[in-house]
Amino acid sequence: MAEVRLVNIAKSYDQGQTWTLKDINLNIGDGEFIAFIGPSGCGKSTLLRMICGLEDITSGELSIDGEKVNDWPPNERRVGMVFQSYALYPHMSVAENMAFGLKLARAQKSVVDERVDEAARILQLQALLERKPKAMSGGQRQRVAIGRSIVQQPRVFLFDEPLSNLDVALRVQMRQEIARLHRRLKTTSIYVTHDQVEAMTLADQIVVLSPLAQGAASNLEQVGKPLELYHHPANLFVAGFIGSPKMNFFDGVIEKNGEQETHVRLTTGETLKACVDTSKADPGSRVVLGIRPEHTLAETDNGNAVDGRIEALERLGAESFIYMGHDTIREHFIVRVEDSLRREEGSKIRIELSPEHCYLFDANGVAFRRTRAPEIDQ
Amino acid sequence: MAMVQPRNLKYRVWSARIVMWLFLLIILFPFFMIISVSLRTGNFATGSLIPQNPSLEHWYLALGIPWENADGSITQPPFPVLTWLWNSIKVAITSSALILILATTGAYAFARLRFRFKQQMLTAMMILQMFPAVLALVAIYSLFDKIGDYIPWLGLDSLGSVTIAYLGGMALHIWLIKGYFETIDNSLEEAAAIDGATPWQAFRFVLLPLSVPILAVVFILAFIASIAEYPVASVLLQSMDNLTLAVGSRQYLNPQNYLWGDFAAAAVLSGFPITIIFLACQRWIVGGLTSGGVKG
Repeated sequence: MAEVRLVNIAKSYDQGQTWTLKDINLNIGDGEFIAFIGPSGCGKSTLLRMICGLEDITSGELSIDGEKVNDWPPNERRVGMVFQSYALYPHMSVAENMAFGLKLARAQKSVVDERVDEAARILQLQALLERKPKAMSGGQRQRVAIGRSIVQQPRVFLFDEPLSNLDVALRVQMRQEIARLHRRLKTTSIYVTHDQVEAMTLADQIVVLSPLAQGAASNLEQVGKPLELYHHPANLFVAGFIGSPKMNFFDGVIEKNGEQETHVRLTTGETLKACVDTSKADPGSRVVLGIRPEHTLAETDNGNAVDGRIEALERLGAESFIYMGHDTIREHFIVRVEDSLRREEGSKIRIELSPEHCYLFDANGVAFRRTRAPEIDQ
Repeated sequence: MAMVQPRNLKYRVWSARIVMWLFLLIILFPFFMIISVSLRTGNFATGSLIPQNPSLEHWYLALGIPWENADGSITQPPFPVLTWLWNSIKVAITSSALILILATTGAYAFARLRFRFKQQMLTAMMILQMFPAVLALVAIYSLFDKIGDYIPWLGLDSLGSVTIAYLGGMALHIWLIKGYFETIDNSLEEAAAIDGATPWQAFRFVLLPLSVPILAVVFILAFIASIAEYPVASVLLQSMDNLTLAVGSRQYLNPQNYLWGDFAAAAVLSGFPITIIFLACQRWIVGGLTSGGVKG
């Protein structure tokens, strides 16, 4: 178990002409479960591969347990990694796969057997120890891959999208197994995923990364607890990325600013109230107002509402999503409703946006503080 | 599953079989000819395929056993054929093993490491390989002549020189093995590195065991090429006891006296090591060795 510290970590594949990662600073505490999340191309897997030594670090400092490990090869860092593709040794049995690292380290046979047996017991692989990988299902293979890193007793577990190749039911089950494993072993873990449900359910802290924009100082968008990212996204990117379906954004200007409440005039002329602190912003400045689909209310009107037309309906049974057109909306205005049997495409609808659930971002995408959102323990 | 077949299928299957049998006969005919010649009395290249007076004379002489003629005179074996065969096997096994070692490590570098001029080197190797070794005979001769001044066992008229000269044909093998390495997912070696393996250990314990089929193929190809090689060996080897079988067999064919029977027996003999090596290596040539390791 160990702490992992990243100081000003940056990565460039072409001697600094273009950067994949820039100015990443992170402190990962002993025993913490951290998830890296972001769209494809944001460098989350690259960052993970830099931590385990499969990619070199262009600049910055990486330390594990207080030791600077930038120049250590992967075999000396004592980290465990679970690959998306499993990467099992196809010519070895399950037991040999798990024992491979210990045998290289010339561990005593009794130690090897004991650790392999224990890992097999934890992961319920006892019956499969003599099998070759090709005779196993995807879920079993991924369990072997996890077992292989457990027997090494690494200081840090690294997971590179371990569940992406599994079907949905198995993914849910393996997600719980990984959570159970972490509760049991309490090893510092770093988990890369593009699936926010995995990140939200597994992680103590989530690190949101974005593809590095031209001239941006860093692509580290926000670090926080799962609900903190949901209720208090630091910026437009995090707000749009966390939550499914994604948050709706309206363009507008501040009509009246305030410490508790703000009035925003949309470009269509409708005025909406939002419970955010804009005391430091000027009236008339351009803003983006956000509301999540699950916080909209169809066909009620307490004065904080917009009109629109139903463009498409998605009926999922337990809930339905209405895709609406609105002149100031970016992309679609998605509204979640409990049932939509009586609604038809093309009909007009009025949607209420409750002020305490509204988010507000300035012209640079930085969030204003929400005044009535739940506080998250730091 | 029984697929619906057209009605005239039977007729087409039979005609395909007949064509294939005919083709097989054409391929095998020269081989039967050689065996037939080696069993004929006297040294005749022409004659019926089934020898009229079968005799083991040529085989006795090829195997180094004196042959007693019908008139009671004894014919001594003219040449040390078994020594030549043994020389051929020694050269072929040593050069094939060296080719395997060097080509595998070379292919690893080309498949896995990043260095400058990699693509150019690969292309250059291929182009250089296209020039026949025969064109370089003069160079090969004088090179080994000079080397022999310092290292006698690598000089002219030594099996060492032939062995080393045969390593020159390696570019093709490097390409072959490199192509195979590239089908093996890199993440296996990355997993090994994280398991604590050095790059050498990842190569030795993960990549190599998975590449056994291509290594067996390369060994067989190098072995056959070395057994059958004539021009280089004929220039480098001189004394009777140092010849390989391919060069030695030529001794039977004197301008005035072609000993076709003895030649045929020696030729069949040279096929034995190839057959044995092929049968031994065959069990390594299997598919599906890498399946199940990675997904995606």
